Amino acid sequence: MKHLFSNAEARRFASIMFALFLLLPGASPSVAAQSLTVPAASDSAPTQLPPPGFRLERTPVAGGAELLTVFGSLDGLRHDKDGDVPLVSILRDTLGDDAPENDRLRYVWMHTYTRPSVKQRAASAVPFLYSRIGNNKRASTDAPPHIIDLAGTEREVWHRVFWNALQTLVFNPYSLTVKATTHAYRRNADDYRKAHIIRALAVLTLYQSESGAGSVFAPHELKEIQARLMLSQKTFGGLIDDLYLGRVYEKQTSQWLDTRGHNWELLRQRAEAEGLYFEPLDLPDGNTTHALLWIARADVEAQRARRFDKRFLNISNPFGDKRLQRWHGYTETRYFDAENRRVTADTPGARAVEMIPLALYGLDHPKIPIMLVDFRDTLNPKTREMSQRVLRDVARATVSLTHLDLPFFLGRAVFDYVADRRGMDVNQPSRLRAYSQLKLLLALDASLDPELRAELAQRLERVSLNPLENDMDAEARLARTQYAALLDYARRPDKGLDAKLARDRRSELTPLVHSRPEQILLRVASVASFGLYAHCEGGAPEKQIATLNAARKLSYHRQFLREVARSSAEVEVQWNIEDVRRSLSYVNEHGARADGKTAEAIGRIFAHTKDEETQRLCLSSLYRINNETAKNTLVRIYRDEAADARWRALSAQYLRQATRESQRISTNDARIIATISVMEGQ
Amino acid sequence: MLVACVCLLLAAGTSFAQARRLVLVKVDGLSQDMVERFVRERDPRTGKSLLPWFEHIFYERGTRLENFYVRGMSLSAPSWALLDTGQHAQVKGNVEFDRLTLHSYDYLNFIPFWLGTAGKVRVDMPGPELMDELGIPLLVDSYPYDERHISFQLYQRGTRWTTLERGLKNRFLTRTPRELFDEWLVEFEGRNIVMEQLEREVLEKLKDPRIRYLDFYTTEFDHSTHHNRDRETHLVSLQELDGIIGRIWTTIQQTPQAAETALVVVSDHGTNTDERIYSQGFNLVKLLASRAGGGHHVITKRRLMSDYALKSIYPLVPLITTTTEDSYYLKGQSTAYPTALVDFDGNERASIHLRNSDLNALHILLAELQSKKLSPATTRAATEAFFALIEEHRADWQKLHTNLQEELGALRRLVERERALAAAQPKKWTQADSDAGRDQEARRINARADSWATDERKYTEYAATLSNLLSLRRETFDAARLRIPDIIAKNAMGEQNTIRELQNYTIGLQPGGLTLAPDGSLDREKSFARVNYFALLCETAVRNNVQPGVDSHPVDFVAVRVPAEALFDAHGKEFRADEAVWLYHGEDNQALILARHERGGGLQLRYVPVARLQQRADGTIQYERIPLRAGLPLKIYEDARLSLPSNERREDWLDRWHGDLDWLRALHLTIYSNGLIGLQEQLGRHLTPAMEADVPGLSTDEQLIRRFRHRQRVLVETDLLILANNHWNFDVRGFNPGGNHGSFFRISTHSTLMLAGGERTRIPRALVIREPYDSLSFVPTILALTNQLARPAQEFTPARFDALPARPYPGRIINELFDPNAKPAQASTDTPGANGRTKAEVSP
Repeated sequence: MKHLFSNAEARRFASIMFALFLLLPGASPSVAAQSLTVPAASDSAPTQLPPPGFRLERTPVAGGAELLTVFGSLDGLRHDKDGDVPLVSILRDTLGDDAPENDRLRYVWMHTYTRPSVKQRAASAVPFLYSRIGNNKRASTDAPPHIIDLAGTEREVWHRVFWNALQTLVFNPYSLTVKATTHAYRRNADDYRKAHIIRALAVLTLYQSESGAGSVFAPHELKEIQARLMLSQKTFGGLIDDLYLGRVYEKQTSQWLDTRGHNWELLRQRAEAEGLYFEPLDLPDGNTTHALLWIARADVEAQRARRFDKRFLNISNPFGDKRLQRWHGYTETRYFDAENRRVTADTPGARAVEMIPLALYGLDHPKIPIMLVDFRDTLNPKTREMSQRVLRDVARATVSLTHLDLPFFLGRAVFDYVADRRGMDVNQPSRLRAYSQLKLLLALDASLDPELRAELAQRLERVSLNPLENDMDAEARLARTQYAALLDYARRPDKGLDAKLARDRRSELTPLVHSRPEQILLRVASVASFGLYAHCEGGAPEKQIATLNAARKLSYHRQFLREVARSSAEVEVQWNIEDVRRSLSYVNEHGARADGKTAEAIGRIFAHTKDEETQRLCLSSLYRINNETAKNTLVRIYRDEAADARWRALSAQYLRQATRESQRISTNDARIIATISVMEGQ
Repeated sequence: MLVACVCLLLAAGTSFAQARRLVLVKVDGLSQDMVERFVRERDPRTGKSLLPWFEHIFYERGTRLENFYVRGMSLSAPSWALLDTGQHAQVKGNVEFDRLTLHSYDYLNFIPFWLGTAGKVRVDMPGPELMDELGIPLLVDSYPYDERHISFQLYQRGTRWTTLERGLKNRFLTRTPRELFDEWLVEFEGRNIVMEQLEREVLEKLKDPRIRYLDFYTTEFDHSTHHNRDRETHLVSLQELDGIIGRIWTTIQQTPQAAETALVVVSDHGTNTDERIYSQGFNLVKLLASRAGGGHHVITKRRLMSDYALKSIYPLVPLITTTTEDSYYLKGQSTAYPTALVDFDGNERASIHLRNSDLNALHILLAELQSKKLSPATTRAATEAFFALIEEHRADWQKLHTNLQEELGALRRLVERERALAAAQPKKWTQADSDAGRDQEARRINARADSWATDERKYTEYAATLSNLLSLRRETFDAARLRIPDIIAKNAMGEQNTIRELQNYTIGLQPGGLTLAPDGSLDREKSFARVNYFALLCETAVRNNVQPGVDSHPVDFVAVRVPAEALFDAHGKEFRADEAVWLYHGEDNQALILARHERGGGLQLRYVPVARLQQRADGTIQYERIPLRAGLPLKIYEDARLSLPSNERREDWLDRWHGDLDWLRALHLTIYSNGLIGLQEQLGRHLTPAMEADVPGLSTDEQLIRRFRHRQRVLVETDLLILANNHWNFDVRGFNPGGNHGSFFRISTHSTLMLAGGERTRIPRALVIREPYDSLSFVPTILALTNQLARPAQEFTPARFDALPARPYPGRIINELFDPNAKPAQASTDTPGANGRTKAEVSP
């Protein structure tokens, strides 16, 4: 192993870097030159946003599945006027029937997410190269990469763990070059995927708000997809119990909306306090994700002595700024009434104000509005975005400082805390989310002046630190190509999507066939072979489908019963009791393989209902489920003196029957059941 | 005769009630409109209501009030005070400042309370402490200590440390590692630990047959509406509450006391939230600190932008001083001489104290005289002006000084007696004593003595400087030998400003400095820079007006208390009023709210449109009476939902005196709802027996202490009450884009009251009461429901207040609840999904 620095030197270097960051917050070279686009002063009043135009196409896939694709009209793109662009596709495995209970959502493709070109890959492995290097000219005609497998999120967690282990144990000790290169590559690839997950989420949210009840997705399906996409950004997010997906979606959405409103208000107040103009930019669903700040050209000179507080705005003082005094960049003339509302030029009493754009901010960033474009200083947002990356990359990838290094850890912790608490735009979480959303906003929103949009797009691309990113026009082109490739893949007879589907179904059978330790071994084998080996069950396809059908339906009813059990103090008040009975009936008929959690849920439902038929079904289902938890629940009901005598007697009867059938019963419960038998015998 | 009959009928009606046990769910900010909306919406997955437990319990099996309002301001501390006591408003804000001592009554801050109870030097939250001093019992006081279970809340007596301890334990021990892992992924929230434990404790205590009073207080919904404006967040928060109510109800049903247990949900206010609009903040502190706003050093009890301040991690939140660089004459003296106190909580309103304008003038003159830069003529004129100002106030200040000295003497003697009483208390307590709350009672004595001793010290300091000021003599006056802090009290606002002073408030010197009149005297007009705060506040506009439906002016109107005798002098009998409130919405758009207190306790109110109101130097008030028209404060005349008796013209009805109940019935559906009554409630003075000094039989010390209590309440009265325009707020602690409250808009004052109970409680089923009621009705109704209200008068005095006369409750009992003719409707008849109408309704 070679080290460029000794440990002591490395620490010193890190300390110097750290001190530099502390001393030079936000220092950035200024770029005075402005683009020379001189648009005609716009006299347009705020226009109503055009109808957003999302539509969904269903494409059947051989073998019993369908591809659901959301198309959007990217009216905001300058060069793309070829109609709707495919944005997101989701594969729904229906097992070839119409029953929603056995459907399973599988892959999500964001069509702008593509396999990078060789040049992009090479660049992404170069440490400290925080820049785009151009577009991927041509997407592969192979099946495009998906951004998530909704039915296999666990697998993704283990892969991530495996790669982290590999990085730590193999690459890091090997050499600094390998370490820094692999680290940079993985980081860029990860960010590239994250950016597209964020956009997929935004597209689905927009589609959801537009389609409403007319969506082909059930409301819980869309929430589940979005929750899974949200969780994919957390290391262990793929391991979460499905029961919590609704809560994840609600919590995360609520938190984002809170942040958005908070930043909207913070930026408006700061603009007001500093004598600037605030303009919120809306997504097609009416949500404001970004905002522009403007200055009146007349104020630049007239208020040159004005004090300017740059806190949270993170731009230099515009009053008296020479760059603005001789500004040749984009301007707009807007009209305001006496109440300072924006109006059309022909409104009586309208006052004309020539405005110069100063900066654009993303509102979905934690704690502070995050600057994405500084019209006077192109590098300003980029250097702020880089601050965290540089600090981390130097510390981790170059000098091997970890959290176990106490002085570094403490210094970093204090610095992080102060920066976060004060809302300093240095060393903040990445702008990735705001950046990705803005790309989408610019593509979708045709209400922005084209010149302004073009300038924003151009400047935005400079913020990106990721060589894997493509620009907006390239992405529209790639999306079409990739979608065509996906359709081609879906139609390909042998090695196409239906074959993959069949493989996935065979893998899905594994937990039904193998014990837990066997499953772990098979998973280890898959991970250790870098995914080359994936265990699949054999057997006739018809039989496989029948088994999957039963298993998925059981899983569906299990999930429903657990939800009922968790949420309700009295089942029939909160739920349609017919639905509960239907799920119990299914378990009663096909639930021998149901797990302990199902049994626990049924036990809770029994305790929280007064509906006799439901109670009877609960006991019968507990008898049917062949595991110790189910029998233990029955034993508890039998022993509960407060319970109705009928139910206790029925429980006893079921327990005796289960013993006779040699069902799985714990030793302790078996002893109790034996006592019942004796008592009954007496 | 008629009165007797009514009393008998009332007694007969209420005698049906047999709720022996009461479970109160107190929900901060629960908007009745939002509950109604979500109850009526169906969940497509289940076909049930989105709030199934609300529907099941209160819509099908209980009674709900469709028009229940906050009586005063839609703000937590004042509003819960009304709900918890059933008495008129004594608490006028979440934070109150004493003008003379800057003592702050922070009714929301739990941290000092917890530290105080941990150190065994305090027992109660500041709210109950104040109510004890004013001799006002809380509803909870009607239950013996060992028969009640109280959750954490603003008017909390005592605390339970076991809640926190058991909450942590339960959080981790009742879940499997897998569940903890999943919750960690969703997001682990510390606050939930306490809330879950509080709920668990209520459910446990329900099983204890000795407990007859239980409450559960939650602020979760209020928080969610402050932060988020979106429907989903509000719904999720309400569904969590719905689940809690469901669990409480189910547990009640499993107890032997179910038939005689009443479950009541009550809220302190609504919330002004709109899915399409962000609530916009306006920084009043910054305005006051600006040169145009007076260049004040401003004190708040909330840290500005606390989420972005390192200092805000300090939990005790002392007085926060915002120092201004724009001060006219107090640069660098912000810690000694703040000149404005701002309470902006609730956020749709703010209350402001400004230092007495003439104290400012004295301070400026003294500083100028000490500067030695003045010419002899100007020095002479400034000195004359200085003493002229003192002479203008001498009588009042002398009276204040004398009275304070008398009262502080009595207070000192009272402290000594309390100390002796505290010393006589046992040092150790048995478990039986603790169970009966006797240890807490003993600690209360100590806490009271400490608090009074602090009061005595602070007021004494103020009295000393006042004495120094009054003892100055023109003949021996030498400004250079004086220390300003000896003459002008530090950290004090002095006496309240008059309307004239607020219209001509002295903020500093004019650029030309002190200027002499032709006669050689000081020309006060030309010397002092002044601000008219009414005009300043109402004319302030913002440049960024980006949301449709939001005005560019953050301030709707300013309300101040007006000396009613000055109005009487000006306009004779017609305007004879005991109290008056002036509403300023511009020079041409103003109104007076006049109030007359009737002998029987009734309240008559009148709304008088006026313009250009001014107070003369002699104290009299002049104004122009203007006809009723649109655009006046409270926008009553133009409101389509104004509901007048038939055949009455608006102009005629609105131009007369009416009882508060008539006003409530006429106004409650309008945009400002019962704001007219609320403003009188908020700015009026409401004496309690503990403040009435002129009662025969009292010792001198008792009289003085009562006068002192009254003085303390008067000293927290602010100069200006500022009401925000729709979708504006004055929060500067952070941002509340989701929504706010505090105003008199109906959306903010419209609260929730729902009741349901077992058969023996006789609470009607599926009953909707349309008659409007306000928060003063809550306590007497609950006491009637639990058979604790003495008849025929609505009087009740818990044992610990037996030294004071019985307190009649000013609010109406909600008689529909006790109406034997109110038919219990079939559950299905009130199922809203069917046709949205209910069968059992009681019309006004």
